[in-house]
Amino acid sequence: MSSDLATPAPATSRAESVSSTLSSVIELLENEQNLKKQIRESVEPIEDLSRAAITELNKLHSAPFAQHAQICENAIQTIIKTQPLWINVASLIPQGEFYRYQFALGPAMRNLTTSLVLARFILHDELTPAFTVANLIGVQHTGTEALQLSAEDYLQGVIGAVNELPRLSINAVTSQNFALPVKIAAFVNDIFASYSLLNLRNDALRRKFDSLKYDVKRCEDVLYDLTLRGLAPAPQ
Amino acid sequence: MPVRDNDACSPTRRKTPHNSTQIVTETSGATTMSGTDTDIEMPESSTSGMSRRQHLAETFESYRAELDSDNERREKLIILSRSITQLSKKLIFHLHRGATSLGPAKEKTLQEGRKKEREIWVNFGKVRDELRVGRVGAGAGDGDEKDERAGREAFWRWNRQVSPGLEEYIEGLSFLWYLEHGTLIPLEEVQRTLSDESGEPLVVVTPEDYILGMSDLTGELMRYATNALSTGDHETPLAVCEFVRTVKAHFDGISPQMLYKLSKKQEETQRSLEKIEKVCYALRLRLIEFADRPEILAQMAKRALEDAADKDSGGGGRGEE
Repeated sequence: MSSDLATPAPATSRAESVSSTLSSVIELLENEQNLKKQIRESVEPIEDLSRAAITELNKLHSAPFAQHAQICENAIQTIIKTQPLWINVASLIPQGEFYRYQFALGPAMRNLTTSLVLARFILHDELTPAFTVANLIGVQHTGTEALQLSAEDYLQGVIGAVNELPRLSINAVTSQNFALPVKIAAFVNDIFASYSLLNLRNDALRRKFDSLKYDVKRCEDVLYDLTLRGLAPAPQ
Repeated sequence: MPVRDNDACSPTRRKTPHNSTQIVTETSGATTMSGTDTDIEMPESSTSGMSRRQHLAETFESYRAELDSDNERREKLIILSRSITQLSKKLIFHLHRGATSLGPAKEKTLQEGRKKEREIWVNFGKVRDELRVGRVGAGAGDGDEKDERAGREAFWRWNRQVSPGLEEYIEGLSFLWYLEHGTLIPLEEVQRTLSDESGEPLVVVTPEDYILGMSDLTGELMRYATNALSTGDHETPLAVCEFVRTVKAHFDGISPQMLYKLSKKQEETQRSLEKIEKVCYALRLRLIEFADRPEILAQMAKRALEDAADKDSGGGGRGEE
Protein backbone atom coordinates (compact mmCIF):
# COMPACT_ATOMS: atom_id res chain seq x y z
CA MET A 1 0.00 0.00 0.00
CA SER A 2 1.77 3.12 -1.11
CA SER A 3 1.38 6.13 1.10
CA ASP A 4 2.16 8.82 -1.44
CA LEU A 5 -1.11 8.93 -3.28
CA ALA A 6 -1.52 12.60 -2.50
CA THR A 7 -2.06 13.13 -6.17
CA PRO A 8 -5.21 11.10 -6.71
CA ALA A 9 -4.49 7.81 -8.36
CA PRO A 10 -6.65 6.72 -11.28
CA ALA A 11 -10.00 5.46 -10.04
CA THR A 12 -9.41 1.91 -11.22
CA SER A 13 -6.13 1.41 -9.37
CA ARG A 14 -7.65 2.93 -6.25
CA ALA A 15 -10.56 0.54 -6.38
CA GLU A 16 -8.14 -2.33 -6.83
CA SER A 17 -6.11 -1.41 -3.79
CA VAL A 18 -9.31 -1.10 -1.75
CA SER A 19 -10.35 -4.51 -3.02
CA SER A 20 -7.13 -6.23 -2.14
CA THR A 21 -7.03 -4.63 1.30
CA LEU A 22 -10.55 -5.79 2.05
CA SER A 23 -10.04 -9.25 0.62
CA SER A 24 -7.06 -9.88 2.84
CA VAL A 25 -8.92 -8.71 5.93
CA ILE A 26 -11.94 -10.86 5.13
CA GLU A 27 -9.62 -13.80 4.72
CA LEU A 28 -8.24 -13.14 8.20
CA LEU A 29 -11.77 -12.97 9.53
CA GLU A 30 -12.59 -16.29 7.92
CA ASN A 31 -9.52 -17.90 9.45
CA GLU A 32 -10.59 -16.69 12.85
CA GLN A 33 -14.08 -18.00 12.35
CA ASN A 34 -12.68 -21.37 11.38
CA LEU A 35 -10.61 -21.47 14.53
CA LYS A 36 -13.66 -20.60 16.61
CA LYS A 37 -15.54 -23.39 14.93
CA GLN A 38 -12.71 -25.83 15.56
CA ILE A 39 -12.59 -24.87 19.22
CA ARG A 40 -16.33 -25.26 19.56
CA GLU A 41 -16.09 -28.69 17.99
CA SER A 42 -13.25 -29.68 20.27
CA VAL A 43 -15.47 -28.96 23.27
CA GLU A 44 -18.31 -31.14 22.00
CA PRO A 45 -16.94 -34.49 23.25
CA ILE A 46 -16.43 -32.82 26.63
CA GLU A 47 -20.02 -31.71 26.64
CA ASP A 48 -21.07 -35.26 25.80
CA LEU A 49 -19.25 -36.54 28.88
CA SER A 50 -20.67 -33.71 30.91
CA ARG A 51 -24.18 -34.71 29.92
CA ALA A 52 -23.38 -38.33 30.76
CA ALA A 53 -22.36 -37.20 34.25
CA ILE A 54 -25.58 -35.24 34.64
CA THR A 55 -27.59 -38.26 33.52
CA GLU A 56 -25.81 -40.36 36.12
CA LEU A 57 -26.43 -37.79 38.85
CA ASN A 58 -30.10 -37.66 37.95
CA LYS A 59 -30.33 -41.14 39.40
CA LEU A 60 -29.81 -39.63 42.84
CA HIS A 61 -33.45 -38.60 42.81
CA SER A 62 -34.77 -42.13 42.47
CA ALA A 63 -32.06 -44.54 43.59
CA PRO A 64 -31.95 -45.89 47.14
CA PHE A 65 -29.64 -44.02 49.46
CA ALA A 66 -27.23 -46.95 49.57
CA GLN A 67 -26.39 -46.34 45.89
CA HIS A 68 -25.74 -42.61 46.18
CA ALA A 69 -22.03 -42.92 46.78
CA GLN A 70 -21.58 -45.19 43.80
CA ILE A 71 -23.58 -42.87 41.54
CA CYS A 72 -21.44 -39.92 42.57
CA GLU A 73 -18.22 -41.87 42.08
CA ASN A 74 -19.40 -42.83 38.61
CA ALA A 75 -20.17 -39.22 37.75
CA ILE A 76 -16.77 -38.07 38.99
CA GLN A 77 -15.04 -40.80 37.00
CA THR A 78 -16.92 -39.67 33.90
CA ILE A 79 -15.81 -36.09 34.46
CA ILE A 80 -12.20 -37.15 34.94
CA LYS A 81 -12.38 -38.63 31.47
CA THR A 82 -12.59 -35.08 30.10
CA GLN A 83 -9.00 -34.43 31.21
CA PRO A 84 -7.27 -35.61 28.02
CA LEU A 85 -9.90 -33.86 25.91
CA TRP A 86 -9.04 -30.49 27.42
CA ILE A 87 -5.48 -30.93 26.22
CA ASN A 88 -6.85 -31.02 22.72
CA VAL A 89 -8.88 -27.87 23.35
CA ALA A 90 -5.88 -26.08 24.87
CA SER A 91 -3.70 -26.92 21.88
CA LEU A 92 -6.04 -24.97 19.60
CA ILE A 93 -5.92 -21.76 21.62
CA PRO A 94 -3.21 -19.29 20.61
CA GLN A 95 -1.02 -18.25 23.50
CA GLY A 96 -2.57 -15.67 25.76
CA GLU A 97 -5.92 -15.76 23.98
CA PHE A 98 -7.87 -17.95 26.38
CA TYR A 99 -10.41 -15.26 27.15
CA ARG A 100 -10.98 -14.65 23.48
CA TYR A 101 -12.48 -18.11 23.22
CA GLN A 102 -13.84 -18.41 26.71
CA PHE A 103 -17.38 -17.98 25.43
CA ALA A 104 -17.02 -21.44 23.86
CA LEU A 105 -15.48 -23.06 26.94
CA GLY A 106 -17.26 -21.37 29.84
CA PRO A 107 -20.57 -23.25 29.59
CA ALA A 108 -18.84 -26.63 29.60
CA MET A 109 -16.73 -25.62 32.59
CA ARG A 110 -19.79 -24.40 34.47
CA ASN A 111 -21.68 -27.63 33.85
CA LEU A 112 -18.74 -29.75 34.93
CA THR A 113 -18.41 -27.61 38.04
CA THR A 114 -22.09 -28.16 38.80
CA SER A 115 -21.80 -31.93 38.54
CA LEU A 116 -18.59 -32.13 40.54
CA VAL A 117 -19.85 -29.91 43.31
CA LEU A 118 -23.07 -31.88 43.56
CA ALA A 119 -21.36 -35.28 43.57
CA ARG A 120 -18.73 -34.24 46.06
CA PHE A 121 -21.30 -32.67 48.35
CA ILE A 122 -23.12 -36.02 48.54
CA LEU A 123 -19.85 -37.85 49.10
CA HIS A 124 -18.06 -35.50 51.48
CA ASP A 125 -20.61 -32.96 52.65
CA GLU A 126 -18.29 -30.19 51.46
CA LEU A 127 -18.16 -27.44 48.90
CA THR A 128 -15.42 -28.34 46.47
CA PRO A 129 -13.09 -25.34 46.12
CA ALA A 130 -12.34 -23.89 42.71
CA PHE A 131 -8.79 -25.20 42.51
CA THR A 132 -9.96 -28.74 43.21
CA VAL A 133 -12.60 -28.44 40.52
CA ALA A 134 -9.99 -27.14 38.09
CA ASN A 135 -7.72 -29.99 39.06
CA LEU A 136 -10.34 -32.69 38.58
CA ILE A 137 -11.47 -31.30 35.26
CA GLY A 138 -7.86 -31.28 34.18
CA VAL A 139 -7.46 -27.56 33.68
CA GLN A 140 -4.02 -26.20 34.52
CA HIS A 141 -2.36 -29.57 34.09
CA THR A 142 0.57 -30.19 31.81
CA GLY A 143 -0.73 -29.32 28.37
CA THR A 144 -3.70 -27.33 29.63
CA GLU A 145 -1.87 -24.43 31.28
CA ALA A 146 -3.62 -22.10 28.90
CA LEU A 147 -7.04 -22.94 30.29
CA GLN A 148 -8.55 -21.38 33.35
CA LEU A 149 -11.61 -21.95 35.43
CA SER A 150 -12.64 -18.34 36.03
CA ALA A 151 -14.15 -17.29 39.35
CA GLU A 152 -17.26 -16.33 37.46
CA ASP A 153 -17.66 -19.77 35.88
CA TYR A 154 -16.92 -21.56 39.12
CA LEU A 155 -19.32 -19.45 41.16
CA GLN A 156 -22.08 -19.93 38.60
CA GLY A 157 -21.43 -23.64 38.45
CA VAL A 158 -21.75 -23.96 42.23
CA ILE A 159 -25.14 -22.27 42.16
CA GLY A 160 -26.17 -24.72 39.46
CA ALA A 161 -25.49 -27.53 41.93
CA VAL A 162 -27.43 -25.80 44.68
CA ASN A 163 -30.39 -25.35 42.33
CA GLU A 164 -30.59 -29.12 42.13
CA LEU A 165 -30.76 -29.65 45.88
CA PRO A 166 -34.34 -28.65 46.81
CA ARG A 167 -35.62 -31.33 44.46
CA LEU A 168 -33.24 -33.85 45.93
CA SER A 169 -34.42 -32.90 49.40
CA ILE A 170 -38.08 -33.46 48.51
CA ASN A 171 -37.37 -36.75 46.80
CA ALA A 172 -35.32 -37.94 49.75
CA VAL A 173 -38.38 -37.52 51.97
CA THR A 174 -40.47 -39.49 49.50
CA SER A 175 -38.03 -42.38 49.77
CA GLN A 176 -37.97 -41.96 53.56
CA ASN A 177 -34.45 -40.71 53.80
CA PHE A 178 -34.87 -38.09 56.52
CA ALA A 179 -31.20 -37.39 57.13
CA LEU A 180 -30.42 -36.04 53.68
CA PRO A 181 -32.78 -33.03 53.83
CA VAL A 182 -31.09 -31.91 57.04
CA LYS A 183 -27.67 -32.21 55.46
CA ILE A 184 -28.89 -30.37 52.37
CA ALA A 185 -30.50 -27.50 54.29
CA ALA A 186 -27.32 -26.90 56.29
CA PHE A 187 -25.21 -26.93 53.13
CA VAL A 188 -27.48 -24.62 51.16
CA ASN A 189 -27.56 -22.22 54.09
CA ASP A 190 -23.78 -22.16 54.30
CA ILE A 191 -23.49 -21.52 50.59
CA PHE A 192 -26.02 -18.73 50.73
CA ALA A 193 -24.15 -17.09 53.59
CA SER A 194 -20.90 -17.37 51.64
CA TYR A 195 -22.30 -15.81 48.48
CA SER A 196 -23.67 -12.98 50.57
CA LEU A 197 -20.06 -12.01 51.22
CA LEU A 198 -19.54 -11.17 47.56
CA ASN A 199 -20.07 -7.74 46.06
CA LEU A 200 -21.98 -8.71 42.97
CA ARG A 201 -22.61 -6.49 40.01
CA ASN A 202 -25.91 -6.50 38.26
CA ASP A 203 -24.96 -9.34 35.96
CA ALA A 204 -25.62 -13.00 35.28
CA LEU A 205 -23.97 -14.13 38.50
CA ARG A 206 -26.13 -11.73 40.45
CA ARG A 207 -29.29 -13.16 38.93
CA LYS A 208 -28.10 -16.66 39.72
CA PHE A 209 -27.43 -15.57 43.27
CA ASP A 210 -30.96 -14.21 43.52
CA SER A 211 -32.25 -17.70 42.73
CA LEU A 212 -30.40 -19.05 45.78
CA LYS A 213 -32.77 -17.64 48.34
CA TYR A 214 -35.66 -19.61 46.87
CA ASP A 215 -33.57 -22.75 47.14
CA VAL A 216 -32.85 -21.94 50.77
CA LYS A 217 -36.53 -21.50 51.42
CA ARG A 218 -37.59 -24.71 49.71
CA CYS A 219 -34.97 -26.70 51.61
CA GLU A 220 -36.07 -25.17 54.91
CA ASP A 221 -39.70 -25.88 54.14
CA VAL A 222 -38.87 -29.55 53.83
CA LEU A 223 -37.01 -29.39 57.11
CA TYR A 224 -40.00 -27.72 58.74
CA ASP A 225 -42.33 -30.46 57.53
CA LEU A 226 -40.03 -33.11 58.95
CA THR A 227 -39.54 -31.38 62.29
CA LEU A 228 -43.25 -30.81 62.66
CA ARG A 229 -43.85 -34.53 62.36
CA GLY A 230 -40.90 -35.50 64.49
CA LEU A 231 -39.22 -37.12 61.52
CA ALA A 232 -36.01 -35.12 61.45
CA PRO A 233 -33.11 -37.01 63.02
CA ALA A 234 -31.84 -35.49 66.24
CA PRO A 235 -28.80 -33.27 65.70
CA GLN A 236 -25.57 -34.98 66.71
CA MET B 1 -2.64 -1.94 43.16
CA PRO B 2 0.27 -4.08 44.47
CA VAL B 3 -2.30 -5.78 46.70
CA ARG B 4 -3.34 -7.85 43.75
CA ASP B 5 -0.13 -9.76 43.82
CA ASN B 6 -1.26 -11.40 47.00
CA ASP B 7 -4.28 -12.75 45.22
CA ALA B 8 -2.00 -15.08 43.41
CA CYS B 9 -1.71 -17.07 46.58
CA SER B 10 -5.42 -17.30 47.14
CA PRO B 11 -6.90 -20.72 46.59
CA THR B 12 -8.91 -19.52 43.68
CA ARG B 13 -6.67 -20.62 40.81
CA ARG B 14 -6.26 -18.00 38.08
CA LYS B 15 -2.79 -17.24 37.16
CA THR B 16 -1.00 -16.77 34.00
CA PRO B 17 0.12 -20.00 32.45
CA HIS B 18 3.83 -19.58 32.98
CA ASN B 19 3.88 -20.11 36.72
CA SER B 20 0.75 -22.11 37.16
CA THR B 21 2.50 -25.19 38.43
CA GLN B 22 3.98 -23.28 41.29
CA ILE B 23 0.61 -21.94 42.30
CA VAL B 24 -1.18 -25.22 42.07
CA THR B 25 1.30 -26.90 44.33
CA GLU B 26 1.19 -24.02 46.74
CA THR B 27 -2.51 -23.92 47.14
CA SER B 28 -3.73 -27.40 46.59
CA GLY B 29 -0.85 -29.16 48.29
CA ALA B 30 -2.70 -32.32 49.06
CA THR B 31 -4.45 -32.68 45.75
CA THR B 32 -2.45 -34.77 43.38
CA MET B 33 -1.80 -33.40 39.98
CA SER B 34 -2.77 -36.66 38.41
CA GLY B 35 -6.32 -35.80 39.27
CA THR B 36 -7.36 -39.30 40.21
CA ASP B 37 -10.09 -39.29 42.75
CA THR B 38 -8.36 -41.39 45.35
CA ASP B 39 -7.31 -38.58 47.61
CA ILE B 40 -9.70 -35.86 46.68
CA GLU B 41 -10.84 -35.60 50.27
CA MET B 42 -7.49 -34.32 51.39
CA PRO B 43 -7.92 -30.57 50.98
CA GLU B 44 -10.97 -30.53 53.23
CA SER B 45 -9.53 -32.73 55.92
CA SER B 46 -6.71 -30.28 56.48
CA THR B 47 -9.21 -27.72 57.71
CA SER B 48 -11.17 -29.93 60.05
CA GLY B 49 -10.50 -27.55 62.93
CA MET B 50 -12.84 -24.94 61.53
CA SER B 51 -16.55 -25.04 60.97
CA ARG B 52 -17.55 -25.35 57.39
CA ARG B 53 -19.06 -21.93 57.35
CA GLN B 54 -15.89 -20.30 58.66
CA HIS B 55 -13.87 -22.18 56.15
CA LEU B 56 -16.16 -21.13 53.33
CA ALA B 57 -16.08 -17.53 54.48
CA GLU B 58 -12.31 -17.56 54.12
CA THR B 59 -12.47 -19.07 50.67
CA PHE B 60 -15.14 -16.66 49.55
CA GLU B 61 -13.16 -13.71 50.78
CA SER B 62 -10.56 -14.50 48.21
CA TYR B 63 -13.27 -14.82 45.55
CA ARG B 64 -14.58 -11.49 46.68
CA ALA B 65 -11.16 -9.88 46.42
CA GLU B 66 -10.88 -11.21 42.92
CA LEU B 67 -14.32 -10.09 41.80
CA ASP B 68 -13.75 -6.68 43.36
CA SER B 69 -10.48 -6.11 41.59
CA ASP B 70 -12.05 -7.30 38.33
CA ASN B 71 -14.90 -4.86 38.76
CA GLU B 72 -12.54 -2.04 39.53
CA ARG B 73 -10.59 -2.74 36.40
CA ARG B 74 -13.74 -3.07 34.33
CA GLU B 75 -14.92 0.37 35.48
CA LYS B 76 -11.58 1.98 34.66
CA LEU B 77 -11.51 0.47 31.20
CA ILE B 78 -15.07 1.51 30.46
CA ILE B 79 -14.19 5.07 31.42
CA LEU B 80 -11.11 5.03 29.20
CA SER B 81 -13.07 3.52 26.35
CA ARG B 82 -15.69 6.23 26.68
CA SER B 83 -13.18 9.01 26.59
CA ILE B 84 -11.59 7.42 23.53
CA THR B 85 -15.01 7.40 21.89
CA GLN B 86 -15.55 11.07 22.75
CA LEU B 87 -12.15 12.13 21.45
CA SER B 88 -12.65 10.10 18.28
CA LYS B 89 -15.97 11.77 17.61
CA LYS B 90 -14.28 15.14 18.07
CA LEU B 91 -11.61 14.12 15.58
CA ILE B 92 -14.28 13.18 13.05
CA PHE B 93 -16.15 16.47 13.51
CA HIS B 94 -12.91 18.34 13.18
CA LEU B 95 -12.13 16.59 9.91
CA HIS B 96 -15.59 17.28 8.52
CA ARG B 97 -15.19 20.97 9.27
CA GLY B 98 -11.98 21.32 7.32
CA ALA B 99 -12.07 18.48 4.83
CA THR B 100 -13.59 20.45 1.99
CA SER B 101 -11.26 23.40 2.27
CA LEU B 102 -8.40 23.65 -0.17
CA GLY B 103 -4.64 23.89 -0.17
CA PRO B 104 -2.95 25.01 3.05
CA ALA B 105 -6.22 25.15 4.99
CA LYS B 106 -6.85 21.48 4.31
CA GLU B 107 -3.24 20.72 5.10
CA LYS B 108 -3.66 22.40 8.46
CA THR B 109 -6.84 20.48 9.17
CA LEU B 110 -5.09 17.21 8.51
CA GLN B 111 -2.13 18.16 10.68
CA GLU B 112 -4.39 19.06 13.54
CA GLY B 113 -6.22 15.82 12.91
CA ARG B 114 -2.98 13.93 13.40
CA LYS B 115 -2.39 15.80 16.62
CA LYS B 116 -5.82 14.78 17.86
CA GLU B 117 -5.16 11.22 16.80
CA ARG B 118 -2.03 11.20 18.98
CA GLU B 119 -4.09 12.43 21.95
CA ILE B 120 -6.31 9.40 21.56
CA TRP B 121 -3.24 7.25 21.20
CA VAL B 122 -2.13 8.37 24.66
CA ASN B 123 -5.40 6.99 26.02
CA PHE B 124 -4.73 3.64 24.41
CA GLY B 125 -1.42 3.71 26.24
CA LYS B 126 -3.39 4.07 29.47
CA VAL B 127 -5.54 1.12 28.45
CA ARG B 128 -2.44 -0.94 27.93
CA ASP B 129 -1.05 0.09 31.32
CA GLU B 130 -4.31 -0.73 33.01
CA LEU B 131 -4.31 -4.16 31.44
CA ARG B 132 -0.78 -4.80 32.64
CA VAL B 133 -1.15 -3.60 36.19
CA GLY B 134 -0.64 -6.25 38.87
CA ARG B 135 -1.90 -9.05 36.76
CA VAL B 136 -2.44 -11.85 39.23
CA GLY B 137 0.41 -14.29 39.02
CA ALA B 138 2.97 -11.75 37.95
CA GLY B 139 4.20 -11.67 41.53
CA ALA B 140 7.64 -13.19 41.07
CA GLY B 141 9.72 -10.69 38.98
CA ASP B 142 7.84 -8.63 36.60
CA GLY B 143 9.97 -9.11 33.54
CA ASP B 144 8.95 -7.28 30.42
CA GLU B 145 8.14 -10.50 28.71
CA LYS B 146 5.84 -11.57 31.51
CA ASP B 147 4.15 -8.20 31.38
CA GLU B 148 3.71 -8.69 27.71
CA ARG B 149 1.99 -12.03 28.06
CA ALA B 150 -0.06 -10.95 31.03
CA GLY B 151 -1.15 -7.89 29.12
CA ARG B 152 -2.12 -10.00 26.17
CA GLU B 153 -4.19 -12.32 28.30
CA ALA B 154 -5.83 -9.40 30.05
CA PHE B 155 -6.48 -7.73 26.74
CA TRP B 156 -8.68 -10.56 25.57
CA ARG B 157 -10.36 -10.79 28.90
CA TRP B 158 -11.37 -7.13 28.78
CA ASN B 159 -11.84 -6.83 25.06
CA ARG B 160 -15.53 -6.15 25.36
CA GLN B 161 -14.91 -3.10 27.52
CA VAL B 162 -12.26 -1.72 25.17
CA SER B 163 -13.72 -2.43 21.76
CA PRO B 164 -16.45 0.27 21.56
CA GLY B 165 -13.81 3.00 21.86
CA LEU B 166 -11.49 1.13 19.55
CA GLU B 167 -14.13 0.94 16.81
CA GLU B 168 -14.81 4.65 17.01
CA TYR B 169 -11.09 5.36 16.89
CA ILE B 170 -10.64 3.18 13.80
CA GLU B 171 -13.45 5.07 12.16
CA GLY B 172 -11.76 8.39 12.87
CA LEU B 173 -8.32 7.18 11.88
CA SER B 174 -9.55 5.68 8.61
CA PHE B 175 -11.35 8.92 7.74
CA LEU B 176 -8.19 10.87 8.40
CA TRP B 177 -6.24 8.41 6.25
CA TYR B 178 -8.77 8.66 3.47
CA LEU B 179 -8.45 12.44 3.42
CA GLU B 180 -4.67 12.15 3.42
CA HIS B 181 -4.30 9.39 0.86
CA GLY B 182 -7.63 8.92 -0.88
CA THR B 183 -7.55 5.21 -0.09
CA LEU B 184 -8.53 2.66 2.47
CA ILE B 185 -6.21 2.33 5.43
CA PRO B 186 -4.91 -1.24 5.63
CA LEU B 187 -5.37 -3.22 8.83
CA GLU B 188 -1.60 -3.42 9.30
CA GLU B 189 -1.43 0.35 9.19
CA VAL B 190 -4.10 0.66 11.89
CA GLN B 191 -2.15 -1.74 14.05
CA ARG B 192 1.09 0.10 13.37
CA THR B 193 -0.50 3.39 14.40
CA LEU B 194 -1.78 1.76 17.58
CA SER B 195 1.63 0.54 18.64
CA ASP B 196 4.21 2.04 20.97
CA GLU B 197 7.58 3.44 19.96
CA SER B 198 9.14 -0.02 19.85
CA GLY B 199 6.40 -1.37 17.61
CA GLU B 200 4.56 -3.33 20.32
CA PRO B 201 0.78 -3.11 19.93
CA LEU B 202 -0.94 -1.05 22.62
CA VAL B 203 -4.10 -3.00 21.92
CA VAL B 204 -4.72 -5.70 19.36
CA VAL B 205 -6.82 -4.69 16.38
CA THR B 206 -8.81 -7.67 15.13
CA PRO B 207 -10.25 -8.06 11.65
CA GLU B 208 -13.65 -7.66 13.29
CA ASP B 209 -12.79 -4.30 14.82
CA TYR B 210 -11.35 -3.19 11.52
CA ILE B 211 -14.30 -4.27 9.43
CA LEU B 212 -16.83 -2.68 11.76
CA GLY B 213 -14.77 0.52 11.76
CA MET B 214 -14.70 0.55 7.96
CA SER B 215 -18.42 0.06 7.87
CA ASP B 216 -18.81 3.21 9.96
CA LEU B 217 -16.37 5.01 7.70
CA THR B 218 -18.81 4.73 4.80
CA GLY B 219 -21.29 6.93 6.69
CA GLU B 220 -18.65 9.59 7.28
CA LEU B 221 -17.64 9.51 3.64
CA MET B 222 -21.23 10.03 2.55
CA ARG B 223 -21.32 13.18 4.66
CA TYR B 224 -17.95 14.23 3.30
CA ALA B 225 -19.08 13.70 -0.29
CA THR B 226 -22.20 15.80 0.11
CA ASN B 227 -20.26 18.55 1.86
CA ALA B 228 -17.72 18.53 -0.94
CA LEU B 229 -20.48 18.84 -3.49
CA SER B 230 -21.76 22.03 -1.95
CA THR B 231 -18.35 23.63 -2.45
CA GLY B 232 -18.44 22.74 -6.14
CA ASP B 233 -16.07 19.81 -5.86
CA HIS B 234 -17.28 17.24 -8.39
CA GLU B 235 -14.45 14.77 -8.12
CA THR B 236 -14.95 13.83 -4.50
CA PRO B 237 -18.55 12.57 -4.71
CA LEU B 238 -17.72 10.37 -7.69
CA ALA B 239 -14.61 8.97 -6.03
CA VAL B 240 -16.39 8.38 -2.72
CA CYS B 241 -19.26 6.70 -4.49
CA GLU B 242 -16.90 4.26 -6.13
CA PHE B 243 -15.12 3.66 -2.86
CA VAL B 244 -18.20 3.01 -0.76
CA ARG B 245 -19.60 0.74 -3.45
CA THR B 246 -16.46 -1.39 -3.34
CA VAL B 247 -16.52 -1.60 0.44
CA LYS B 248 -20.18 -2.55 0.51
CA ALA B 249 -19.72 -5.17 -2.18
CA HIS B 250 -16.97 -6.86 -0.18
CA PHE B 251 -18.88 -6.73 3.06
CA ASP B 252 -21.93 -8.25 1.41
CA GLY B 253 -19.82 -11.35 1.04
CA ILE B 254 -19.43 -11.75 4.80
CA SER B 255 -22.05 -14.06 6.23
CA PRO B 256 -24.09 -12.77 9.17
CA GLN B 257 -23.03 -15.76 11.30
CA MET B 258 -19.47 -14.63 10.91
CA LEU B 259 -20.04 -11.09 12.05
CA TYR B 260 -23.54 -10.40 13.21
CA LYS B 261 -22.95 -6.77 14.06
CA LEU B 262 -21.93 -6.07 10.49
CA SER B 263 -25.22 -7.21 8.97
CA LYS B 264 -26.99 -4.41 10.82
CA LYS B 265 -24.41 -1.87 9.80
CA GLN B 266 -24.68 -2.94 6.20
CA GLU B 267 -28.23 -1.58 6.09
CA GLU B 268 -26.87 1.79 7.10
CA THR B 269 -24.15 1.54 4.48
CA GLN B 270 -26.77 0.71 1.87
CA ARG B 271 -28.67 3.90 2.73
CA SER B 272 -25.50 5.98 2.62
CA LEU B 273 -24.57 4.53 -0.71
CA GLU B 274 -27.97 5.23 -2.21
CA LYS B 275 -27.72 8.84 -1.12
CA ILE B 276 -24.32 9.23 -2.69
CA GLU B 277 -25.48 7.54 -5.87
CA LYS B 278 -28.39 9.93 -6.20
CA VAL B 279 -26.09 12.88 -5.73
CA CYS B 280 -23.76 11.47 -8.37
CA TYR B 281 -26.62 10.91 -10.76
CA ALA B 282 -27.74 14.52 -10.54
CA LEU B 283 -24.15 15.65 -10.69
CA ARG B 284 -23.40 13.68 -13.84
CA LEU B 285 -26.44 15.02 -15.69
CA ARG B 286 -25.59 18.60 -14.82
CA LEU B 287 -21.94 18.14 -15.62
CA ILE B 288 -22.99 17.19 -19.13
CA GLU B 289 -25.59 19.91 -19.38
CA PHE B 290 -23.61 22.84 -18.02
CA ALA B 291 -20.07 21.74 -18.71
CA ASP B 292 -19.08 25.29 -19.69
CA ARG B 293 -20.74 27.21 -16.83
CA PRO B 294 -19.23 26.25 -13.48
CA GLU B 295 -21.17 28.81 -11.39
CA ILE B 296 -24.49 27.28 -12.41
CA LEU B 297 -23.10 23.87 -11.70
CA ALA B 298 -22.31 24.82 -8.14
CA GLN B 299 -25.83 26.10 -7.61
CA MET B 300 -27.39 23.02 -9.10
CA ALA B 301 -25.27 20.81 -6.96
CA LYS B 302 -26.40 22.66 -3.89
CA ARG B 303 -30.01 22.10 -4.79
CA ALA B 304 -29.44 18.40 -5.40
CA LEU B 305 -27.90 18.23 -1.99
CA GLU B 306 -30.86 19.93 -0.35
CA ASP B 307 -33.18 17.51 -2.11
CA ALA B 308 -31.27 14.62 -0.67
CA ALA B 309 -31.37 16.18 2.79
CA ASP B 310 -35.14 16.77 2.53
CA LYS B 311 -35.80 13.21 1.61
CA ASP B 312 -33.61 12.14 4.47
CA SER B 313 -35.59 14.04 7.07
CA GLY B 314 -38.94 13.43 5.41
CA GLY B 315 -38.90 9.86 6.67
CA GLY B 316 -40.77 8.53 3.63
CA GLY B 317 -43.63 11.02 4.07
CA ARG B 318 -43.13 12.67 0.73
CA GLY B 319 -42.46 10.42 -2.17
CA GLU B 320 -42.69 12.88 -5.01
CA GLU B 321 -39.52 13.56 -6.97
